[in-house]
Amino acid sequence: MSVSGGIEYTAVRELRGPLAIVEGVSGIGWDEYVRIALASGERRHGVVLDADRDLAVVQVLEGTAGMDPAGVRAAFSGSPLRVPVGTDWLGRVCNGRGEPLDGGPPVFGAHDAEVGGAPINPVRREPPSEPVLTGVGAVDALTTLVRGQKLPVFSVAGLPHLELAAQIAAQATAAGEAFSVVFAGMGLTHADASFVRDALEERSAAGELVLLLNTADDPVIERILTPRIALTVAEHLAFTEGRHVLVVMTDMTTYAEALREVSAARGEIPARRAYPGYLYSDLASLYERCGRIRGRPGSVTVLPVLTMPAGDITHPVPDLTGYITEGQIVLSPETHARGVYPPVDALSSLSRLMRKGAGPGRTRDDHLDVAAQLLAALARARQVRDLADLVGQAALSPTDRRYLDYEEAFLRDFAHQRSDEPRDLDTSLERGWRALLTLPRSQLSMLPARLLDAHGAQDLDDLGEGTPR
Amino acid sequence: MTTPAPEQTTDVLSPVRAELLRAAHTDAESLRARTEREAAALLDQARAEARAILDEARRQGEADGADAARDLLVRARREARSRTLDARRESYEELRRKAAERVRALRRTDGYASLRKRLEHRARALLGPDAEVTEHADGGVVARAPGRRVDLSLTALADGALDRMGGGVRSLWEP
Repeated sequence: MSVSGGIEYTAVRELRGPLAIVEGVSGIGWDEYVRIALASGERRHGVVLDADRDLAVVQVLEGTAGMDPAGVRAAFSGSPLRVPVGTDWLGRVCNGRGEPLDGGPPVFGAHDAEVGGAPINPVRREPPSEPVLTGVGAVDALTTLVRGQKLPVFSVAGLPHLELAAQIAAQATAAGEAFSVVFAGMGLTHADASFVRDALEERSAAGELVLLLNTADDPVIERILTPRIALTVAEHLAFTEGRHVLVVMTDMTTYAEALREVSAARGEIPARRAYPGYLYSDLASLYERCGRIRGRPGSVTVLPVLTMPAGDITHPVPDLTGYITEGQIVLSPETHARGVYPPVDALSSLSRLMRKGAGPGRTRDDHLDVAAQLLAALARARQVRDLADLVGQAALSPTDRRYLDYEEAFLRDFAHQRSDEPRDLDTSLERGWRALLTLPRSQLSMLPARLLDAHGAQDLDDLGEGTPR
Repeated sequence: MTTPAPEQTTDVLSPVRAELLRAAHTDAESLRARTEREAAALLDQARAEARAILDEARRQGEADGADAARDLLVRARREARSRTLDARRESYEELRRKAAERVRALRRTDGYASLRKRLEHRARALLGPDAEVTEHADGGVVARAPGRRVDLSLTALADGALDRMGGGVRSLWEP
């Protein structure tokens, strides 16, 4: 029984929008979870937004429509929301507060845990290592995701970031070790929610996926709970059940907007762009829940997806996210316009922990060299393209023209893949090699001669362009 | 000006005629050859296009078939999964129903009077001695004080007990 011993408060002073103001309460704290019974027998849920003397402002998750203040009974649980944890979550589809959407019984667990959680004690952290392979060539080869890492996807409205998030959730693996995915969708349209369900059906049926779907018309406070429930479930699957867990959270911008809405309802002083002043620490309290713990199996890897309003990378959400996370995968409208999926802007993307998860003994011996060379060549290709815009292609040197061919091969052959195609790392790296071999050997200075010989790299003369055209 | 004899004219023009004829023949020949070449090329191109269209159609058909098969598989899996979950939910609801029934049956037992007394005692402990305590239709008591209420009905207690069972409920469908 709850701390309050089952007392229900019946004096509701006012119902306003999603808020119910309950009076005569005592010992109530912020964020406390509330169960509300209506005269009709219907049950709703709420969270305490504010408590002052004997008044509690409760945000009703399902809204207050159709509620008669006279018949309302509110039972305060004495603590923030707790959810059952365990493997029962695997294969389930729930709404943003963890209630089943799949027609099944409630999710059960031998234990329950507070959704607020606590970031991992820094002293007990084990540094991230070993890769999570996403099956997306451009990500695996160039910005390898490492177990225990937090790597956000920065996107712009209109780009296929949801497709990419769903593809990664559907395909990601951890080299044959027990692996699960927790997908937290926040503020999704119903069409997007249904797309995600379809895309992840197979993984869900295999009992490797927990799907939490908060749709755009769901209450905002539920959107704030969704990533917390996802991470709480993931932490248990990882550190108790010994699985490697990937938590995909999309879209963090709508999460931050929900936070702003709740903050405004609480009457807090707004900070940058009206987001609450604690946006940074709030985002950190989510992102920092990833990692590995010394002496425990499993890992929690976090892949938040966020859209940058008007493509503005200095917007508070991407800006603060960038401070906390370990790199970023940036999607680019220009690459998207060229018909390339996933439209990853490889030169703006970076996985700071890549060296801990890729290379000899982890992925492939030549992985880091190939990735470095691919990026260096792409940077040069971009300069050449700018130059060609000024002087025309005909005025370029044969080597520079090769760089234009390389960029095309990089986009079409290496980066581009179908959204339902899992591409293994070997294939991705071989495609990377194929793109690199459009360049003369002299340009591939970051690759050891032994590898160049093995892959048959040729000089410009051998490529048939030694003499000017 | 003198007019040459007609036979003389014919003789003079015959090389020209012959040359014109030869040129016309050559032209016609080359035109024919070119037309033949073009026709052959066109035919080759048409054949290649037809082959490409056929290949594309075959590839498209195979892809469509694979897509359709995958969709079918996904739908079948979803259906199977949703039936399993439905069955679990039904058995869980049945458990709740049965538990509530059994608890309600306590009213007709000898120990009910002492149980009711204990519930009333608890209600007054929570809401104070002035609380108004009434019997609930399903057994147990409901206590009210201004602005507060405690539901100690038998069904509410049974629901609470089931909620606290947590993972134990899974034994309904797990071996």
